[in-house]
Amino acid sequence: MKRIGVFICWCGSNIAATVDIDKTIAAAKQMPGVVFADHNKYTCSELGQDMVKNAIKEHQLDRVVIGACSPRMHENTFRKTVEAAGLNPYYMEIANIREQCSWVHKDKETATGKAISLVRTAVAKAARNEALFSTEMPIERRALVIGGGIAGIQAALDIAETGFEVDLLEKEPSIGGRMAQLDKTFPTLDCSACILTPKMVDVAQHEKIRLITYSEVEKVEGYVGNFTVTIRNKARSVDMEKCTGCGDCMNKCPQKVSSEFEMGLAERRAIYTPFPQAVPNKPAIDRATCRWFTQEKCRVCEKICPTGAIDYDQVDEFITQRYGAIVVATGFDTHKLDKYGEYAYGKHPDVITSLEMERLFNASGPTGGKLLRPSNGKPPKNVAFIQCVGSRDKAKGNPYCAKICCMYTAKHAILLNEKVPGSKSFVFYIDVRTPGKDYEEFYNRAYEQHNATYIKGNVSKVFPDGDQLVVRSVDALSGALVELVVDMVVLATSVDARSDAKDLAQKLSITTNAHKFFNEAHPKLRPVETQTAGIFLAGVCQGPKDIPETVAQASAAAVKVASLLSKESLKSNPTIAEVDQKRCSGDMSCMAVCPYGAISEKIIEERRGRETVTRKIAEVNTALCQGCGACTVACRPGAINLKGFTNEQILAEVDAICL
Amino acid sequence: MKECSEKMRKVASDALQKQEVTAVLGWRKKDFWWQSPVAFIESVDDVDQLVWDPFTVFNPVKYLLEDYDCHDKVGIFVKGCDSRGINRLIQDKRLDRDRVVVYGVPCEGKADADKIRASFASKKIKKVTIDGDSLIIDVDGKEERVAAEEYLLDKCLTCRYPNPVVSDKLIWEEVPVRKGVNEARFARIDNMEKKELEERFSYWSRQMDRCIRCFACRNTCPACNCRVCIFDQAEPRWLGKANDMGDTLNYHIIRAFHVAGRCFECGECERICPAGIPLQELNRKLIKDLDEFFGEYEAGLDPEDNPPLGTYRGEDPAGFDES
Repeated sequence: MKRIGVFICWCGSNIAATVDIDKTIAAAKQMPGVVFADHNKYTCSELGQDMVKNAIKEHQLDRVVIGACSPRMHENTFRKTVEAAGLNPYYMEIANIREQCSWVHKDKETATGKAISLVRTAVAKAARNEALFSTEMPIERRALVIGGGIAGIQAALDIAETGFEVDLLEKEPSIGGRMAQLDKTFPTLDCSACILTPKMVDVAQHEKIRLITYSEVEKVEGYVGNFTVTIRNKARSVDMEKCTGCGDCMNKCPQKVSSEFEMGLAERRAIYTPFPQAVPNKPAIDRATCRWFTQEKCRVCEKICPTGAIDYDQVDEFITQRYGAIVVATGFDTHKLDKYGEYAYGKHPDVITSLEMERLFNASGPTGGKLLRPSNGKPPKNVAFIQCVGSRDKAKGNPYCAKICCMYTAKHAILLNEKVPGSKSFVFYIDVRTPGKDYEEFYNRAYEQHNATYIKGNVSKVFPDGDQLVVRSVDALSGALVELVVDMVVLATSVDARSDAKDLAQKLSITTNAHKFFNEAHPKLRPVETQTAGIFLAGVCQGPKDIPETVAQASAAAVKVASLLSKESLKSNPTIAEVDQKRCSGDMSCMAVCPYGAISEKIIEERRGRETVTRKIAEVNTALCQGCGACTVACRPGAINLKGFTNEQILAEVDAICL
Repeated sequence: MKECSEKMRKVASDALQKQEVTAVLGWRKKDFWWQSPVAFIESVDDVDQLVWDPFTVFNPVKYLLEDYDCHDKVGIFVKGCDSRGINRLIQDKRLDRDRVVVYGVPCEGKADADKIRASFASKKIKKVTIDGDSLIIDVDGKEERVAAEEYLLDKCLTCRYPNPVVSDKLIWEEVPVRKGVNEARFARIDNMEKKELEERFSYWSRQMDRCIRCFACRNTCPACNCRVCIFDQAEPRWLGKANDMGDTLNYHIIRAFHVAGRCFECGECERICPAGIPLQELNRKLIKDLDEFFGEYEAGLDPEDNPPLGTYRGEDPAGFDES
């Protein structure tokens, strides 16, 4: 018979206010195998842990049950506690009587009954817990950063500065991302390019950073410390070694295409760099529009190139590289406006999105930095800004706040007034949200000094009137109907997760929330980690945020990467699957559902009658298995078991609850 | 019918003589008129045992598992329903396709002995044979001629694959698919789904109450082909041995889920059940649900693919994290 000790934690009043601790202790003492039961105000405190350690020695306990918070919180803490007292860490079992009991119940009597049930379950499992042992695994001391926007750039630079090698992956021909498209940045109005481009150059020049542009993640295998990533290096059709970036090809290319970087407000060529400060400043051929690839004529760039760098025969290449850690910094898409017909976007050229406005303000933008109306090329006098387009809109947009629109709209109002003297802006808002250092003051400046009028109200319609636009709304504060005649309308479009975020999440085995933003491991305490060890998040791919927050998160992710890569080795997780050869039928159902490719076929010999015969069965690769348990569910004869969560243990738990 | 039996004997004897196979699985006549169980022919001398009559309903595919793997190559006669079992075993990696020669025997349906007995209650039936679309029944020494269609097994009335889906050699010509079988496929399920939860539970409780846990449904099912069935394992004890309703339900639910997406509707479980439990209703309910969740899927048609519940696809409905 096992000697089980039960320790019930009050968690201050978190548990003790809803669960009768004394009753639970009394019940625990009656459970089979329990020789000791006691309680503590905070079991995770030093005092509490000492109590567990002392009891193990004093009462010769060989299994320990802690009734406390979720194992997500303190499983590791208590594993270390029992290990310090000489027990195998996997002899410890947690009964989650906080998240699964006291926090979700009000009635003390029923909550106590449930707590006792949960403790009984844990006791039943603990009695069947077996010693499990970790092995040491080496770490590949190289990091991958996916996404070359400001988040990825900052993370890559910070990791590289700690001395580890970093590959920075970018799907476009140049790094820079969204920040490169912006004109000025709030609340200081310093120019986005002026603060970003030096960092881009730093990245390109850093000896520890390898830039992999025009490339995407194809496949991710492995686990923390030992990821193997296959990268698709898209055919650039330009030999990066030979190209000097002189730009002659781009000047001579006859095929003009709408520029994504300029938000369609200007044209680029079929051979192009997204913007003049591109890093690397070497072009790529857009095969979807290039005349040679679409019509098999032209080849002008090849003729013009002084170094013979054009290579039409390039094909996508696949690079396979091992990494110890991965930072995901894939940024965001702007919200699609197809459901917002009332704002006349796409129907009238003077209705534009805020990102298009950034390009119109920008000195290297389509208008050379002069703010001109797209319709007639004249400076606008009056501009209406509509906030929350696609944000805070449960009916047809995103229910969440995109967080940056109030501030950039205030910025636009200030810039407009500076660029076009005497101009006025009218901002239609639901609420103005300005939490952040110097943010409220910045917003105040917009209406105090820069002719911005804020009108609380949802715009119902935007329609043309001569060569101007009428914006119809209600002033919610006075209740009056408002109709304003303006020269331009700027829509503060919401921030969406990348449309392919789910795909990447699947490749990385990380999760997303309902809006496809990647999930952090804990919203407060582990904001840059994911649930998959070794994969970290930076920037808007995790949720809407502005540049200062993005940079801070990127640096935080870099520290996490550096602390992981600086370890000598990692301890493997021993709770992995194991095959019972005799029971295995070899139908390989497990292999088909394993998300980690950890199961393969193995041929074994066995005696049948007088003969030795061979047959195929399943085998688990202990290095690849992550212990998810999918295989154990797929296995009909129950031949595959997850160590630490064996069928025996789980049945014992079920029996403890039901019988 | 006689010609059919003759054709089968000829095929079997040729194959054995030429040593293309060392054994042949088919059907033979046993003591009573309603018995035509699986025959195991290992020598040319025994081929005369082979018969094709109204009762050769047993699915012989299950016998291709270990019991017969002392033979390098086995010939097997399969009806349409049986043939999907071949693909079932190949998918489950329990059968090497090269080890079998499949003789396809298209089938117009098998007779239900219970229906015949009910028609001629308290009379002595000696022999039942088929002639075209009539059954000739020897009742009290007199020959009665009845329409075969009237006496078919229920599972044959809804058969969608009367012709083998896999065969190396078709022994006679294919037969047409009966009309209306697609509509009839889920008729029992649709009826059941209309009923209230309480009513459904009491219906199934009544059905399962008769179960004697003989495990015949499992034993005959080609999809139940594990080397060691979980219900036979002592540790952990998945199934209590006592005659307890909870355990009986547990058995039937687990059995149904283990064949979910893998059951190819041969109906042998229901036919063989001595307690008359309508197991096919459970199986078909799961087929219908799987079709709705993961798109239509026909088990046992393609030996290469994977059943929906044994496949990991990114776009599968998760049911939890989608809001």
